[in-house]
Amino acid sequence: MIRFEHVSKAFGGKVVLNDVSFEVPKGDVLFILGKSGMGKSVALKHIIGVLAPDSGKIFVDDIEVSALHSPDRKDELVQVRQRCGMVFQHPALLDSLNIFDNIAFGLRTPQYQAKMRRKLTEEEIGVIVEQKVDLVDLKIDILSMFPHEVSFGVQKRVSMARTLAPSPDYLLFDEPTTSLDPLTTSEINQLIDDLSRKLKVTSIIVSHDMACALAIADNILFLDQGKILLQAKPKEVVASQIPLVKDFFSETKELLPPDWNLKA
Amino acid sequence: MSRTERKLQQETPNPLERAVANTMHEFGGAWIFFNRVMRTFKRTKGHKSAIIQQVADVSTRTIGTVIFAGVFVGAILVLQFDVMLRRFDAQALLGGLNTSATIREVGPLIISFLLAGKVGAYTTAELANMRVTEQIDAIECLGTNPIQYLIIPRFFAIILSSVVLLAIGLSVSVIGAILVAQTFSDINLYQYISSIPRFAGAWTLFEGLFRSVLFSTIVATISTFKGYTATGGARGVGRAVTESAIYINVYIVIVNFISSSILEWVHDFIFWIGALLERITL
Repeated sequence: MIRFEHVSKAFGGKVVLNDVSFEVPKGDVLFILGKSGMGKSVALKHIIGVLAPDSGKIFVDDIEVSALHSPDRKDELVQVRQRCGMVFQHPALLDSLNIFDNIAFGLRTPQYQAKMRRKLTEEEIGVIVEQKVDLVDLKIDILSMFPHEVSFGVQKRVSMARTLAPSPDYLLFDEPTTSLDPLTTSEINQLIDDLSRKLKVTSIIVSHDMACALAIADNILFLDQGKILLQAKPKEVVASQIPLVKDFFSETKELLPPDWNLKA
Repeated sequence: MSRTERKLQQETPNPLERAVANTMHEFGGAWIFFNRVMRTFKRTKGHKSAIIQQVADVSTRTIGTVIFAGVFVGAILVLQFDVMLRRFDAQALLGGLNTSATIREVGPLIISFLLAGKVGAYTTAELANMRVTEQIDAIECLGTNPIQYLIIPRFFAIILSSVVLLAIGLSVSVIGAILVAQTFSDINLYQYISSIPRFAGAWTLFEGLFRSVLFSTIVATISTFKGYTATGGARGVGRAVTESAIYINVYIVIVNFISSSILEWVHDFIFWIGALLERITL
């Protein structure tokens, strides 16, 4: 379970999150939608403790992440991060490492070894890497290649495989389909849906993609001007009369396939 | 324009006040970052192989330029000293004066400027690019401390490489100086070398080494700090590299003046203590 309690955050004079409270139950898929610069990615970065709130509390299960920013509690913060896998807007792969080493990165950290209570052998790491590559529909012959040698879409998938490698309890996606062509966008969305269901992990997805949200999400949360405009099930979102939500949906309607089914 | 610069512009409309406030802000930020790197270095282990790899990388990337510049630095200094010493018919001192000036002052300074230009700019650009493409955030999220993984190897590699490059640069510069001295100044090899111990001893070597480590620490701190804290996409990377180059050169010049004064004072003090001890024992 992930819980925000009256979280506020400002950068300089600009308020990005204003008294935001919501909860994501275990196993749920939450989509955070909203216009650009409305604090969606900022909210996500608070969960893994990359950003600290100005006020309010953030909980991952029973651990208050917002209280782990002092230097003496850094180790606890690292443990929380180990449980939350984050897929960034950019693939964020390390240029100096090949794809195998990028995916294996999280498996070689002392924190992961501490979690496993032993150091994994290179063979074991190899097996996990191949499993995750398979999970994101990639072929193992790309493993020796470097990030700049593969397409942006493949980089995104590798980034997902890297996030999945340490088997996180939570998956956080920060605009996973940004800068992708429509076909790859649809493949990535399908992949997110598959992963969330297959792995039964709690997922939070920050996106502009209403169609994808309506098809995948258990809950949808609209952020506007740092505040929650609406938090509802997909069916309620479609029926909503809030102007911004209506605008979002009307833009999406034409893009939906004829056999489109609203998630119950 | 960074967020801090915008804030400073709003709060301090006077450009001079703003420049001072901005410089102090940058200096404070770099100092805090330096302390963070040191604390992480003390707390964590296993940097050896990464540092060695980076030393090799930094040294190979810079060695060609250092050798090329070293030859000309030695040659230029010899020509300048020769003009002055000729007036006093003191050309026999050419080797000593030239070597002392190169080891104490010009060598460390030139090598630091070269390090700033080649390695400093590269390091800032590399780290800034990693920051704006969220690679550093990703490293953090995967449970690794980016200071430990990215900064410490680069930071110490720059400092250690500067010592290696200083040794190579000085050797090459002395060779360049000897070649020019023999060609243009009617000084033979024996005359040149025999005057060196009169001006350049252990203290001179210490001064050169001390300055070199000091300047390279500035290069390492500023280049990693500016790269690590870069914001704002491709423009942010460009701004970080420019600011890194400017701050490194300004800080080196200021620190050179301060360190020269302090080293002079320490040298006099040691000399005075030595004389005092000698008088007591006699």
